[in-house]
Order: sequence, then C-alpha cells, then structure tokens
Amino acid sequence: MPMKNSNHEFNLKALGKVNLIFFFVIVFIGLFIVRLFYVQVIKYSYYKHSALIGQLEQAKIPATRGLIEAHQGNQIMPIVLNQELFTIYADPSLIKNPSTSSSKIAAILGSPSNSYEKLLSTKHSRYIILAKKITQDQSDKIIALKLPGIGSIGQDYRTYPQGDLAGQLLGFVNENGKGTYGIEQYLNKELSGTPGYLKAITDVNGVPLASSKGNIDVPPVDGSNTVLTIDIAMQKQVQDIIKKVATDVKSPLVSAVIMDPNSGAIKAMANYPSYNPAEYSKVTDSNLFNNAAVSNPIEVGSIMKVLTTTSALDQKVIKQDTKYNDPGSWLIDGFRIKNVEEDGGAGVRSMEDLLNLSLNTGATWLLMQMGNGQINKQARQAWYDYETKHFRLGQDTGIEQGYEAKGVFPQPNIAYQSDEQQNLNYANTTFGQAMTASALQMDSALSSIINGGTYYKPHLLDGTIDKSGNVTYKKPIVVSNNVVSNSTTSNIIPLLQQVVKGHYQMGFKYLNFPSNYVVGGKTGTAQIANPNGGYQDHLFNGTYIGFVGGDKPQYAIAIFVTTPTVPGYAGSYAAQPIFGSIAHMLIDESYVRPIGQ
Amino acid sequence: MTYSSTLAINRQNYSKKNQNAVSFRSRERTLGPVSNTIILIVLACLLGLIYLTQVTKTNAYGEQVYSLQKQQTQLQSQYNNLEVSSAQLQSLDRVQTSDANKNLVPTSSSTTLNN
Repeated sequence: MPMKNSNHEFNLKALGKVNLIFFFVIVFIGLFIVRLFYVQVIKYSYYKHSALIGQLEQAKIPATRGLIEAHQGNQIMPIVLNQELFTIYADPSLIKNPSTSSSKIAAILGSPSNSYEKLLSTKHSRYIILAKKITQDQSDKIIALKLPGIGSIGQDYRTYPQGDLAGQLLGFVNENGKGTYGIEQYLNKELSGTPGYLKAITDVNGVPLASSKGNIDVPPVDGSNTVLTIDIAMQKQVQDIIKKVATDVKSPLVSAVIMDPNSGAIKAMANYPSYNPAEYSKVTDSNLFNNAAVSNPIEVGSIMKVLTTTSALDQKVIKQDTKYNDPGSWLIDGFRIKNVEEDGGAGVRSMEDLLNLSLNTGATWLLMQMGNGQINKQARQAWYDYETKHFRLGQDTGIEQGYEAKGVFPQPNIAYQSDEQQNLNYANTTFGQAMTASALQMDSALSSIINGGTYYKPHLLDGTIDKSGNVTYKKPIVVSNNVVSNSTTSNIIPLLQQVVKGHYQMGFKYLNFPSNYVVGGKTGTAQIANPNGGYQDHLFNGTYIGFVGGDKPQYAIAIFVTTPTVPGYAGSYAAQPIFGSIAHMLIDESYVRPIGQ
Repeated sequence: MTYSSTLAINRQNYSKKNQNAVSFRSRERTLGPVSNTIILIVLACLLGLIYLTQVTKTNAYGEQVYSLQKQQTQLQSQYNNLEVSSAQLQSLDRVQTSDANKNLVPTSSSTTLNN
C-alpha cells in the first residue's frame, strides 16, 4: 500500500507546518499580550500621566470683579468698571527684522517707530513685554499684521471713567487682583466673587470633550455690583472746592465729608491732594493712598465745643439760656486755660457767646457743671461717657473703608496720673485738645446731635445690583438711638445757627444764606502737638463742623484743613470758607429742600 | 387516473422497499458555533458603532457649546468696552470741557419764594 504511506507522510508534514505556523501565531499573540500587559498594567501610571499632559486641561476660571456705581441725580452710573486690556509680547528669537516689526507696531500704538527695536533684538530672553494695557482695537490691529513671534494676551483691568473722582475713597486693585485701600479693600471679598474651576479632557484644539467622564466645570460666581451712597456731581464739586482752598491757603492736606444725618449715608468724602486709581503705580508717596477723612485723626480744636455744650444740655446741667460768670481764665494743675485776646476778658457770658466767641474757659466751665461745679472724677466720667458711648469717639465707625483710625480719647481715671493732671487733660478735651478724632467721627457725632439723637452707622455702601439691574438698597443701621434727647437737639440747632449769623456779622460775608434755609456750624483752630512735648507755636489745623437744611438739617458737613497759611485763625480763614462754599453749592443746586417744602 | 393511483406514483419516486413512506423532519433549526460567533461580533460592532456615533455627536455638541461660550465671552467683552465708552463720554470732566458747557453762563445764588 505505497500510496497510503505517501499520503500519510504528506499529512504529517502538512500537520507539522500548520502546527509550526500555529505555534508562531501563538507566540506572536503571546508577545502582544505580554507587551500589552506591560504597557497597560505595569506602565499604566506612566502612560496615563503622559496622555493627560497633552489632553487634560485644568484651569481656574477668574470671576469678574463687581462694578462700583454711584448716584448721579436720580440715576445710577458706574464709576469703576472692568475693561479687557491687552499685553503685547514678543519672542525675539522668531523676529527676523526687528526694525520693520518695531515700526509697524509703533504706528499702531502711536509711539516713535524705533521704540521696540531694541526690545525685539534682545538675545537673552524668549519672552519680552512690548506694551501693556492697550485696547482691543490696537491689539487686533497688531495681531492682524501676522508678525512672527508677536502675540497678545488679554486681562481685565479696573477702569475709572470719572478719572480721579473719589480716588482715595475707592482704593485700587493691585497687580495680584487684590483690592487695596478704600472700598476696594473693605469689600474685596464681595467684589471679588468666587473663581470657577475647569478640569476636562480636551481635543487637539483644546476644546473640552463633552463625552469624557470626570469633567469638572464649576462656573465662577461673579463679584457683587455695588452702589455707593455718594452723589457724583456733589463729590466732584467738593473735590474742586477743597482743591481751590487748599491751593489758596497752602495746606498740605484738606479733608471734607458730607453726610446725610438722617441715615448716615455719605454723600461726598474727599481729600486733597488725591490720586487717580487708574495710575496708582505712579504714586510715589504712599500716604496719598489713605483716605485721610477716615484714617487721619487730629486734635480737632474748638469744634469740640459743640459736643461739650450738647453734653451739658443733655445732662441738664445747663439750659439754652444759661449765663455764667466767666473769669477769663482758669488755673488747673499750674496751667492757665484762657481764651484768645479778641474775646475780651472776664464777664457774664451766655451759651451763645460761648460758641460764637469760642470760649475755652466756657467749655471748661461746662465740664465743671458736669461735676457739680468743679472738675473731678464725676465730671471726667460723665464727659468720657458722652464722648465715647454717646458720640462714639475713640472707636471705629465701621465705615466701609480700609485703614480706619480710631483716634484717642483719654480714660477718665489713669492710675499713674494725679487728679490735677487728669483734670487739666480733661479740661483740654472740652475744647478739642489732648484727644484726636477723624473728620468722619466728628461728622457722625454732629449728625447724631442734629437729627434728634440717633447715631446711624456712617456708610458708603448703598446697596447691590443684580444681573437684571435691579438695586436692593440696604437699610441704615441704627447704632444708638439715645445719643441726646429731642429737646437737646432743638436747643443746640439755634445756637449753631447763631454762630453762623455771628460770623457773618463779623465780616465773613460769604456766610449769607437765604432765610428759608437752616445753616449752622462752628469753627475750630487746633494747636498741633510738638513731638518733643507741648504744642507748636506757629502751626495750627483748621476745622469746621456744620449743617445745612430746611425744616430739618439735611446735610452734616465736617472740614479738616491741615496747617494752612492764613492771616487769621485757621478755622475761620481756611476751614470756614470751604464750609461756606459747600453750603452754597448745596443750596444753589437744589440739594437742600427749603423750609416748608 | 384516480387520486389514489396518483399518490402511489408520487410515492414511488422516492420510496424504496421496506421504507416508511412518510418521513418526519424536525422543523427546529439551530445555529452552529460559527454563526453565533459571527452574530456576536456583528452585534458588538453595531454597539461599538452606536457608541462611537453617540460619542462623536456629544463631542460635536461640546464643540458647539464651547464655540457659543467663546462667542458669549467676546460679546460680553464688547459690551464691557461699550459700557466703558458710555461712562467715559458721560464723565464730568468731559462734560466740563465740552463746547456746550463753555457756552453756559454762571448761576447766581437762588432764593425760594414763599406764598
């Protein structure tokens, strides 16, 4: 059977070949499996990480900072906005012709043609910033040039359409996006919002793949848009007024505050000199960033007599028509407290005289009345309680401003000082020396005196605006409603009106106000402490607190003028003219409703 | 030809001796392992195709969403720029230096008449 054997051998050979092929296939598949095991299991982390580097996009999405708006008549207008501005950068290694590129860019940015040539020729860096804060239009034009190695990147910046309006009150946002000084600092958290977060697998163009599992897309929560209480036009005019007077009297610092005494809302708050927050990086003196009306307490001088008289009236130790024998001076702890020469010497004086002639001896006499006729612990304690608990001096008002200063009001019982020393200190505080307060604190105290005895928390934040533009106004916060009685208010207002009339009669003709308006106030000329002890001889600060209204006071005003150069008393010749101009402005521009309307 | 003779002739065509004239054939048909495998592969491919279609479609929507978001950002940026321009045009400094303002006359102090 040879045929059968030959077939059998053939089959065996064929089978051997098939097995061999099968063996190689198995080996080949085995190699694949081993390799896959190595790649997918053993080197899993490495390859996953490598893949994610190219595909995984993780980014913090910045929240848009809230806008700040303010009142303009019946409207609300933005005074701080966000604007996307661009930074133009270059990679000098890709620039073929620095001269041509420079001239093309310069033509768009309005600079000399060779402005950027040196930068574009830089050898040691691959990232050079050519221009910052340029507009979208300029950026688009530069990008359209398609210059190799030139790019632009956008970033939101704060922009101030009203220029330097309320600069110190607003503060600024620094390069790290943090609010610094002013309301930007105080409300930084509310204005900043909460950044969002994106974590997603992306395609080659960087677009997140919607089907990818585990994508995280938390949208940012934008900052609150806020409305301030200030009136733009009033703020502007106050700035102009204090700038003019500061220049005239050569004062290095003038502050003015206008408050609504019936709500605590600040209508205007300005200092001179000030700065434009858009150009904060150009400011060389960091003191300029401070809102001095809030952060610069000084010895306030005779405007304190308004508070002294009010305290005595409220304690019922005097009446509006009380008269007293003024000796012309008081000797306390070896020091003589006296008045200015023009006020005359000893005599019978009324409360009207006390305020109109600004009698230091009268203010001291009032303190004596709080201690049953003499300055003692009882008098000091009563005066201290009024100053700190009623008028809230020596503590923060809580206004929405960075770096508010408390000022100082001395304790009534200091262990290391004799009674006589403390009596002298306290006598000095009755006419605004040996203590400090800010313009805002004095304005808030005055407001509580003239509004019937309610201390409203002074505030700049009027409300918030939602996405639809609806404003939710905040209610005024009553800190205390028994500062003084209504009858005290009724008694002190005519006394302060009389001071204005008296000064008009003395020759300050600009204090001529129409009879259907109520205008009252008080000047202060404060000595300035010498760092080596005692007071300086020839330097004074001028101060003023006053009000303007119709049936009731509608605006409480405080003015501080630092070391003016004037021919007379700083209060009368530097601070009072500012009050006069502001009061006329408020009346002339119908900010004030006259009596009967 | 009668009906019975016709049947007989027909049977003769395929019946042999001692063989049942009637045969029963099972109507139930089953698929073999090869067919099953092929069907499973086809089904798996179909499912894969459906999955790919859906994923591609979803990603295309993602692309659209991204594009719309980008457009929204651009429009928001344009809106912000317009708002800035509007505020700048209404700024007091600009109004103060405008031609209209230069033609205004100063006001005198006002008084209110009482009836």
